[in-house]
Amino acid sequence: MAGEYEQFLIHESTLLDERRFRDWMALFTEDGSYWVPATVGQRSPYGQTSLFYDDLELMRTRIDRLEHPLIHVQTPPSNTVHLIGSVTVEPGVPAPDPEAGLPTSDVLVLSSAITAEYRLDHTRTFVGRQRHWLRHVDGALRIVRKRVDLVNCEAAFEAIAVPV
Amino acid sequence: MPDGSLNDRGIASLIEPGRVHRRVYTDPGVFELEMQRLFGRAWLFVGHSTQVPKPGDFITTDLGRQPVLMTRHHDGSVRVVLNRCTHRGIKLVAERQGNRQRLICLYHGWTFDPDGTLLRVPVDEGCAPGFKLCDFNLAKAPRVGIYRGFVFASLSPAGIAFDDWIAPMKQNIDDIVDRAPGGEIALDAGVHRYLVRANWKMQAENAVDSYHVPFSHASTVNQKGVQFSRREGDNEGAKVVDGQRTAPQWKQRRSYSVGHGHCWTSNTELKENERSSAVYDEYRRTLEAAVGKERSDWILTPRMHNSLLYPNVSFMGLNMHIRVIRPIAVDLTEVNIYPVRLLGAPEAMNERNTRLLNVTHAAASFVQSDDLEAFARAQAGLQSLQTDWVDISRGLGREEAIDPPGALRQMATDELVVRGQFRAWLDYMSEA
Repeated sequence: MAGEYEQFLIHESTLLDERRFRDWMALFTEDGSYWVPATVGQRSPYGQTSLFYDDLELMRTRIDRLEHPLIHVQTPPSNTVHLIGSVTVEPGVPAPDPEAGLPTSDVLVLSSAITAEYRLDHTRTFVGRQRHWLRHVDGALRIVRKRVDLVNCEAAFEAIAVPV
Repeated sequence: MPDGSLNDRGIASLIEPGRVHRRVYTDPGVFELEMQRLFGRAWLFVGHSTQVPKPGDFITTDLGRQPVLMTRHHDGSVRVVLNRCTHRGIKLVAERQGNRQRLICLYHGWTFDPDGTLLRVPVDEGCAPGFKLCDFNLAKAPRVGIYRGFVFASLSPAGIAFDDWIAPMKQNIDDIVDRAPGGEIALDAGVHRYLVRANWKMQAENAVDSYHVPFSHASTVNQKGVQFSRREGDNEGAKVVDGQRTAPQWKQRRSYSVGHGHCWTSNTELKENERSSAVYDEYRRTLEAAVGKERSDWILTPRMHNSLLYPNVSFMGLNMHIRVIRPIAVDLTEVNIYPVRLLGAPEAMNERNTRLLNVTHAAASFVQSDDLEAFARAQAGLQSLQTDWVDISRGLGREEAIDPPGALRQMATDELVVRGQFRAWLDYMSEA
């Protein structure tokens, strides 16, 4: 059972590594969101700063910009590799998310992710625990919410241009 | 050629009316001197009183490179003390924020009150003859000034008085704080922290640079030359490009330089009468109920875009945040961005403002990230020996004198505000 979800997460991260951002966005449901908190244990993306909190509209704007020829912070672009591990599936109904407004999902998948990013002679690493709330839509898995808790989410970061 | 040494003549030779020597951005010796003479003397933003609401609350920060604590003492007052045990020099507090009724040094247990008073020394029979607790209180910032909850400190007992220093910028602070129906703001909605491999002055200059926007932020400008909306209730953002050129509306912006390095830019036309959304309309009604319609209309008419209280804090009217510059090394700077929460406003309005900063000013934002790239590339480019000089001459000699005496105005795409910062820089950097 975890195998199916593991394959899905690997597929998702491969789309990011291949910079196929529109295909990545297509994995999300229309009410989906991508959240990277800025505080350990952050309970809500509202009222507190986050590194990323994109709904589909913002994600589209972000990707329009990533495809813009004059995005200086991606000239040259980042080269990334994601490593996904420790995949577990929350049995039964996914635990209710503490923040309001989380759309319903069928399953909660937990995993660890390490992303190496190289750009302009500079390599850095993002490490975090991920939570994917997933829903089956027309027989395919879709992301209702992706939350990435970076181990160093409270650090001062140099510019982050691509989803971690 | 500038004098190579860092005596007064050497420093003065780095600054000319329309250009500055690249060493002001690249020389570690100049940076060391800045930490002593500029950050060691100037009024620096420390924090906001709402970051320490209860007795015992503290935040830690650095003024220049001095670790300091801003605390709320038992009597309710806000204090700024150096974060260093008076015994063997241990940094007393490591966390960024928290609450402690007593500050206890981890090394030998020396115990201080939040105002820095030494209360207790363990094993006091070992103290030297004549040892007095009061001789070992934590060092205080020699001078502290507070305006509308914003706490500033100077590490020097002498220098310009706080009231004289802040006077020309009070209206800029009021401009943001008055938007709160309760008349007060809070800096308690988290922080965006980012790190840039560049000299701190790049960020200070950029905060009031209107020339870069159409080019640095090209990836945020749509085909009609309009940037995405940065305010709740706006249908669209400001027009910054017209065809291949900077838009006439953008050129209507003005810069103001008012001494001490302080400066700001005015807003471009923002179609106030068209601003409307459910959340914004509710906010407007709340403000009108608190201060009346006429006053509310005046408060909500944008006048100031970005303001710089030289050297380390920016008040950003358009994106509703406070930006704090923390120099780390000559080529490394941390910038902290605090969303402004308007007390008394509908929480939905505050949430929208805070969330907008994820988009404009987080490390992963659409706007600020291209600025960081520009600063880092500037730092790299300044290693070049093509010329020793950085040009800041746009509009030189065309400044318009305004009140008060000494204040100047110019097109915001000119470099008046950069020259104003370097005049203050030279004043601080010259030996008193």
